[in-house]
Amino acid sequence: MFPWSPEFAWDATHIAFFGALYSVLATVALTLAVAAWRARRDAREGRAAAIAWHGDFHEMPASARACRHQLTGEAPGRVCENGFDCRHCAEHPHFEELRRHDATPDHADHFGFDLPLDRLYHRGHTWVRPEADGTLTVGLDDLARRLLGTPEKVELPRAGDRLEVNGPAGRVTTRGKEVRVLSPVEGTVVEVCGEGPSATLRVDPGGLSDLRHLLSGAEARAWALRELERLQRAIGSSELGAALADGGELVDDVGAALPRDRYDALLGDMLLEP
Amino acid sequence: MDERLVARGLTRAPFGRFLLWLVPWAALLGVGLYAAYLCLAVGLNQTNMDNRFAFGLWIYLDLTVIALGAGAFFTGFLLYVMKRRELAAVINSAVVIGFICYSGAVAILAIDVGQPLRFWYTFWHPNVHSMLTEVTFCLTLYLTVLAIEYLPLVLRNRQLKTRPSMLVFEFELHKVMAVFALVGTFLSFFHQGSLGGLYGVLQGRPFAYRGSFLAWPSTFFLFILSAAAVGPSFVLATTWIVSKVSGRSLVKPAVFELLARVSGSLLLVYVLAKSVDTLVWINHTSFQLGVHPASFYAFAPFGTWALFTEIVLLGLVPALVLALPRSRRDSRLLVPAAFLACAGVAVNRFVMTVQTLALPTLAFDSFLSYTPSWQEVASFLAVVAYGVILYSLSFRYLNLFPQERELAAAPEV
Amino acid sequence: MEAAKTPNGARYGMVIDLDKCNGCGACVVACAVENNVPPATERATERNGITWMRVHRIEAPGEARAAFVPMMCQQCGDKTPCASVCPQNAVEVDPASGIVAQVPVRCLGCRYCMAACPYHARSFNWWDPEWPGRLTETLNPEVSTRTRGVVEKCTFCSHRLQAAQDAQAASGGDAKPPAYTPACAEACPAGAIVFGNLDDPESEAARLAGAPGSFRLLERLGTGAKVYYRTERDWVRRQADGPTAAGDGRTHG
Repeated sequence: MFPWSPEFAWDATHIAFFGALYSVLATVALTLAVAAWRARRDAREGRAAAIAWHGDFHEMPASARACRHQLTGEAPGRVCENGFDCRHCAEHPHFEELRRHDATPDHADHFGFDLPLDRLYHRGHTWVRPEADGTLTVGLDDLARRLLGTPEKVELPRAGDRLEVNGPAGRVTTRGKEVRVLSPVEGTVVEVCGEGPSATLRVDPGGLSDLRHLLSGAEARAWALRELERLQRAIGSSELGAALADGGELVDDVGAALPRDRYDALLGDMLLEP
Repeated sequence: MDERLVARGLTRAPFGRFLLWLVPWAALLGVGLYAAYLCLAVGLNQTNMDNRFAFGLWIYLDLTVIALGAGAFFTGFLLYVMKRRELAAVINSAVVIGFICYSGAVAILAIDVGQPLRFWYTFWHPNVHSMLTEVTFCLTLYLTVLAIEYLPLVLRNRQLKTRPSMLVFEFELHKVMAVFALVGTFLSFFHQGSLGGLYGVLQGRPFAYRGSFLAWPSTFFLFILSAAAVGPSFVLATTWIVSKVSGRSLVKPAVFELLARVSGSLLLVYVLAKSVDTLVWINHTSFQLGVHPASFYAFAPFGTWALFTEIVLLGLVPALVLALPRSRRDSRLLVPAAFLACAGVAVNRFVMTVQTLALPTLAFDSFLSYTPSWQEVASFLAVVAYGVILYSLSFRYLNLFPQERELAAAPEV
Repeated sequence: MEAAKTPNGARYGMVIDLDKCNGCGACVVACAVENNVPPATERATERNGITWMRVHRIEAPGEARAAFVPMMCQQCGDKTPCASVCPQNAVEVDPASGIVAQVPVRCLGCRYCMAACPYHARSFNWWDPEWPGRLTETLNPEVSTRTRGVVEKCTFCSHRLQAAQDAQAASGGDAKPPAYTPACAEACPAGAIVFGNLDDPESEAARLAGAPGSFRLLERLGTGAKVYYRTERDWVRRQADGPTAAGDGRTHG
C-alpha cells in the first residue's frame, strides 16, 4: 500500500498504479475540502440568501424570467440572467435609454386587482414607496394578497432585522402550503405595521437607496398584464373549472378555487419560489 | 401527508398508496436479506457454486449491473465535459441508478467472498498485477464519487434546502461537479476495462483469453466500449419504465433521441471491434493455446447461436435501430432497441463468466452445468428490491427529472 | 522444455509414471491425512468437496481400455496462472524451492485463482471444516488447518521441506537443498510417483523429467508446470493436450 510496505517494489506497474490511486484520492479529498471551505465562507459572509435566490431563479422557466425590457418592448424575447437585479445589469442603462417614457396613467384597475401606480413594484409581488423621511414602506401587492387569501401563519421580519434585495422577507403558510416572500429592498427594518398579508414594513435603507431594479408606471402595467397571463397558465385550463374571465375581478381567495397541489405550484410560480 | 417533502409543482401519489407500492419490495428485500444471512452464517455451501463453477450467478450479475450502471459516468461525461446540456434532464436519475447498481454490486460481493471481513487485505496487500485488485480499488473509489454526486440531489430536497448550511454546501459542490464527473469517467474507464481484463488474462482458459494491446487484453477495451455504449440505453430504458410506472411525462423526446444516437453510434463501433476481436480469436489466439475454436461451441446449450445472438441480434440490430434517424424517431422501435442493447450486454457478460467456466480445460474434463440456488437468486433480488425502494424514495422526494415540472404544466396559450 | 533455473535454490518437481498407476487412490488418502483435509460433510459432492489430489480415470476413445491420471497442483513455473491474479498476494511462489504456496490466512475467498487454474487444482472451503469427536486425534500438527471461505491446494508437502531444512540446519548444514518426500510419493504402492529437485542432475526426478517420453499436461498453455508424466501409451499421451473439437484427444493446428 505504501512505499515502505514489504511487498512494494519500485517498478513501472507499482508506480503507475499507486500514482493513479493517490492522485485520485487527493483530487477527490481536495475538491471536497475546497467545496466545504467555500461553503463555510459563504455562510460566514452571509451569502446564503443570495445563493438561495440564485438557485430558485435558475430553476424557474424562461417564461417566468422575462426581462423587464421584453415586457415594454425594447428587447423582444430577452430573458433575464441576472436574478431581476437590474442595478448590476450591464445592459439595463442602455435599454432604459431606448424606452419610451409615456406619461404615467392614473390609478389603473383594469386587471381585476388593484395596482396603484404611486409606488414601485418588485417582480416578487411586493411594492415599495419611498417616504419623505428617507425610509421605504414595503408591502405585498394586491395580486399576492388575493393569492394568499387568509393565511394560517405569516412570519414577518422583526424590527432590527436586516433585509437584502431578493433575500427572504418573511414566510407565509396558507392552506397548509408554505411560500417565502422576496424582499424588494435592502436595509434595516424599523417598524412592522399591522399583521397578516396586509402588513407593511418601514425599512431604513441606510443612505441613498438604489431602486433601479423596481418597476413603475407603464412598466408596472406591462408587467401586471404578463403576470395575469402567467396566472392563467399556472391555474391550468380545461380540466378545472377555474378561469379568468375577461373583465372579471380576481377572487379574494384564489386558493379556495383550486386543488391543493395546483395551488402549491401556483404559489411557487407567482411568488418566485419554485 | 408528506407533501412538505415533495418538490413544489410535482404531483405524487398519496402517501398511503406509496407505502402500498413499497410493501412487496420490502418483502422481497426481507427474503433476500435472509438468504444473504444464510450464506454468511452457514457458508457459501448455501449456493450451488462449486470448485468448478467458482464464479456463479452473483459475479455474472455484478458484471452486468456494473456495465448497465455505466450510464451514470457516461451521462456525466457527456454533460459536464462535452457540455451536452440536454442531458441535464436525466443526469440526476442516471446518478441514482448508478449509485444503486454499484452499491448493490458491492453488497453482493461482500456475500460472495469467503471471508468478507478480510476485504481490507486487498487494500493493504495489493497485487498490482492482478486485474481484480484494480477492480476493487476503482469500484470503491467510484462508489465514493457516486455518493458525492448523489449528495447534492438529496440536499436540494424541498425541506433540506431551507437550511442555509445545506444550501451553500450544495451550491459549492455543484460548482465543482465537473471535477467529480472527470474523476468518475477516469475510474469508470479503468474498472469497466479491468472487469473485461479479468477474463482476458486467463491463459488457462482459452475461451476467455485474448491477445494484448499495451498492457491489457482486448477484452479490456471491449468491456469499456460495450459499457459506454449501453449506458445511455439503460438510462433511456429506466426513464421509460419510471415514466410508465408513474404515469408521468418526464423528459422531452429530444433527450431520448440524443441518448439513442450516442448509444447507437457507440454500439456500432463496439460491434465492429467485437467482430474483429472474435475473428482474431477464432483464427489465431485459440490455436496458439492449442485449442480448436469449434470445441468452444461443441456443448449444448452454448452453440454458435450464442455468438450470433450476442453480436448480431442483440448487438448489430439495436445498434442500427438506435443509430439510424428514421428508426430512432419512432418510440415503438427506439425503446425496445434500448432494451435489446441492454440484453446484449447481459449476454456478453454471461458468456464471459459462466460459459468460460463451463467449458472443459482438460481433455478428460467434462462440460458441466450449474443452476443457481434459491439463496443466490433471492440475494440478488434483494438488491433489485433495494434499488426499487431507493429509487422510489428518490423519485418521490427529490427532483430527479428537471423537465417534469415543465411537462406537467399546461401548454403555452 | 527446460524452464529457467531458480537462482541458488531448488526446483522441486514430480514425475508420475502413468503406466504404473493402477488407480488405487492411496496417494489421495495419504495427502488428505497428511495435510489435514477436513472430512467431507453430508452434502459434499465430487464438485464441492475438498481433495488436494485427484485420480482421473480416462478411457481410450472407442475402446475398452482405461488409465488413471493422478492430478494435484501442477506447481507451475514462470507463468503461474494463479499467482498473478490473486488480489491479496495470497499465492507465493518461493524462488528457493519453486513451490507455489497458498497462504490461507491471507486468502479473501474471492476464488479468482480457481477460475484461472486450468488444472482445477484448487478447492474452496464451502463448509466450516469439522473433525467430529476423536477425529481431531488424526490431525497433523505440522500443517495448519484452514477456515471456511478460503482456497487450498497441494503444496508439495512444503512442511516436510521445512522439516528437512530444519534438520539440515541443525546437523551443521549442507549448502545443497535437502531431499524430502511428499506424502503421495511415499504412499504410492506402485512407486509411480517420483519426487525430487529438477535442478539436481543426479536426482531421479530430474533424470526422468528430462528423458524422452516425459510430457506435461496442457503444455501449450506455457504454464511451466513442474509435474511431468510418463507413458508409453499413445492414446494416453494425446489426452495431455486440451479438449479438441472432436473431444477425443486429437490436437489440431
